[in-house]
Amino acid sequence: MPFIKYTILAIIIVLSIYALMPPSNGAGQAHLGSDPNRNKDKPASVKYVIRFNPGPLYLPGVIPENSKKPIEGIQKVADEFEKLYPDTRVEFLGVPGDVREWLVTQLSSGRAPDVIQINVEDVWQDIQKDWYVPLDEYLDAPNPFVEAGEPGSKQWWDMFKYPIPTRGTMAPNDKMYCIVLDMIETGIFYNKDVFRRLDLSEPKDWLEFLQIQKTLKQNGYIPLLVDRQALSDWGVDLTFDQMYGELRDLLDLDYDPNRGEYLHGYLDWDELIFLHRKGFFSKNDPRWRELWRVLKDWRQFMSQDLNAIGTDFVRAFMTQEGAMYWGHSMTTNRLLADKNLGFEWGIFYLPPIPQSYSRFARGKDQVVIGGSAMQYSVTNSAYSDTHDPKTSERLKRVMAFLQFLTLPKNCDAVVNEQIALLPNIKGVEPHKELLPFHEFLQRHYAMTKWFYTFDLQFDEVLERQLELYLNGGMSEDDFLDWMEKNLDNASKRIISRKELDVERFEKVWRERAEMRKKFKELPSVAN
Amino acid sequence: MSDHLGLYALLAPTFILLAVFCLVPFVIAFATSFFDYEVGGDAKFIGLSNYLEYFHDYTFLQSFANMLLLTAFSVVMVMIVPLVVAKLIFSLSSERASYFYRILFLLPIVIPNVAVFLIWQSVVYSEIGLVNSLLKAIGHGELARGWFSDPRTSIWALAFIGFPFAGGINILIYYAGLTSIPDSVHEAATLDGATGLKKFVLIDVPLVMSQIKLLVMLTIIGGIQAFEGIYIVTKGGPGFTTTVPGLWMYFNAFKFQRMGYACAIGVILFLLIMLLTVINLRYFKTTEQLQGQV
Repeated sequence: MPFIKYTILAIIIVLSIYALMPPSNGAGQAHLGSDPNRNKDKPASVKYVIRFNPGPLYLPGVIPENSKKPIEGIQKVADEFEKLYPDTRVEFLGVPGDVREWLVTQLSSGRAPDVIQINVEDVWQDIQKDWYVPLDEYLDAPNPFVEAGEPGSKQWWDMFKYPIPTRGTMAPNDKMYCIVLDMIETGIFYNKDVFRRLDLSEPKDWLEFLQIQKTLKQNGYIPLLVDRQALSDWGVDLTFDQMYGELRDLLDLDYDPNRGEYLHGYLDWDELIFLHRKGFFSKNDPRWRELWRVLKDWRQFMSQDLNAIGTDFVRAFMTQEGAMYWGHSMTTNRLLADKNLGFEWGIFYLPPIPQSYSRFARGKDQVVIGGSAMQYSVTNSAYSDTHDPKTSERLKRVMAFLQFLTLPKNCDAVVNEQIALLPNIKGVEPHKELLPFHEFLQRHYAMTKWFYTFDLQFDEVLERQLELYLNGGMSEDDFLDWMEKNLDNASKRIISRKELDVERFEKVWRERAEMRKKFKELPSVAN
Repeated sequence: MSDHLGLYALLAPTFILLAVFCLVPFVIAFATSFFDYEVGGDAKFIGLSNYLEYFHDYTFLQSFANMLLLTAFSVVMVMIVPLVVAKLIFSLSSERASYFYRILFLLPIVIPNVAVFLIWQSVVYSEIGLVNSLLKAIGHGELARGWFSDPRTSIWALAFIGFPFAGGINILIYYAGLTSIPDSVHEAATLDGATGLKKFVLIDVPLVMSQIKLLVMLTIIGGIQAFEGIYIVTKGGPGFTTTVPGLWMYFNAFKFQRMGYACAIGVILFLLIMLLTVINLRYFKTTEQLQGQV
């Protein structure tokens, strides 16, 4: 008996030691980011190691949903770059958890990657701290890797395929803080088989859209799978545009031709604050009230749980529990990956709201809300050699790599390695499965992005209270009170942090007194 | 002194690490709570403003109420379920069976808490999860809901994560307490006519009071500090129906970058834990103190 006991113990110990043994050479190569052994034999001539966070989609080693092959496109581009610059190495690294939370600690301790993929609206929050490098002078200059006569040989700007949304990432201080490699857009994925069976077709307007959802619900399907963040981000902004679209020229107080057509009608934080002081976006603004009513009316057709962490909405769509899913182009990857999906699917865009449904809507096409996807910002780590961006050789190398990355063949190698995003470089075609999103992207952009305009505290309250309101935990008036309070608090914070002068709009507001008379039901104090 | 230098040297690493990682950060946090400090920005001394602001914060009342409810629920559960299970295991006549059940109830602690929360969220409570499927199967589909999305159920859904609360180290602590009760006490109680539940309530419970006190204190501290599970499952929503002060502290520190304000919340939580610990030590008697009174 003791013999058996000790034998079992010995086996356990041996297996444990075996499990803890380091992998032998050539085995156990799985890693995210650059190969950790890659720079071990770094020659003494290497002066610059660029630390680059390419975002979760392009991080070498990540295995996309439609493949068993780890991502390697951007690593190959870096290898080519290193041949051109033997004194430079590019090291790719991932970001743990929430990128902004991590980045704040890294930036404040001076350990941030040189290039980071982050929503540029998050960058806007901190531009006054000089954490990021403005890229305008590089974008206005030629891309040195481009041959004469090709797009980009005069200005880097000319290389971008979707110039309007690309310029749309310009910060409210009129500076560019990111390079946009690709595009993303939202769309409604729908189950064509279910639609056929129930004699439904793609809706032409909001009323048809609601009717379709009603039919689907009566037939036991979750009509629309959508999560709370999508609702408080895309849902709010698109519905806002439908309600306020006719006021676009009236409300855009600060049209700057340098920022291009894209921002014609776009409301920045200072404009929103000024307009709020004039009574807009308050309980006294009928359009504001209508916006939330539209969302509430729509809520009945969504999944009971709006929390995407709890319910995998794509899975629920794939298992045909939900007949429609409001997602984005990256969802395509996962749907295509499932060879046993068992149904045909299609994509349509959110239909317009007609005046017969809401007196403020004009039945115009819904605008787009996605746009720029991978947005690469350069941090102050990039000029850590001289602590001055003007004299930093290291920064030049970092920018050279970004310029190299945007060459058509390199963009193609990185973006088209998977079927998820649309290349933003001229001469690089997207995968054919993503063409519907390419068409959506030709539309005008939303009037504003409520979810990203102010700060994260504003977003947090908006998302939480909207969910509570939509789930019946709060009356409309209470919700509007919350939103007013939220907007007031966010306005105070942003004015203090950014030292904004919103009173400068007073003059143009007075000049538009005649224009205002054309519109009905403006907030009572607006005049 | 020189005689004890060796002993001090042995203790020094512990004290140094404790100071560097626990005491110094606390002092820094306490000092930071008097500043308006945004990471990467300038710090401005504002005295008690962060504290005063927090008492008027829109999450203050609701988050403390949530914390109180979740902590009280955990305390009740930790006082009852593991103790009953420990008693059942203790009462088994077979030593082998007792050993088996102790191992069985201890096994779940190897599962990381994050995994537990995610399992409950996606497998048990999700729209197509266990609870809703069960309700539909027994013909009560009208009761199915988004358990975390519905403001009427979100806090209770959160409280019930871990049901039936029988796993973990708590059972072993109670079991150890039960084994330390002398057989003579039980024999005397039996001679006096006490059996079954009566013996458990009147003999066992008072004699494991030290264990109860320890677990209650640890549960209260854990309840006040806890936020990671809530962060994973609901992020404190919908609205603020599941927000607790610890979670709001985290959001302010790392999301809103209001480090001074977050430190003020942290200090308030520290003071609360200290107050409850003192009350517990002062008024909640251990087995030894109870025996001393006899």
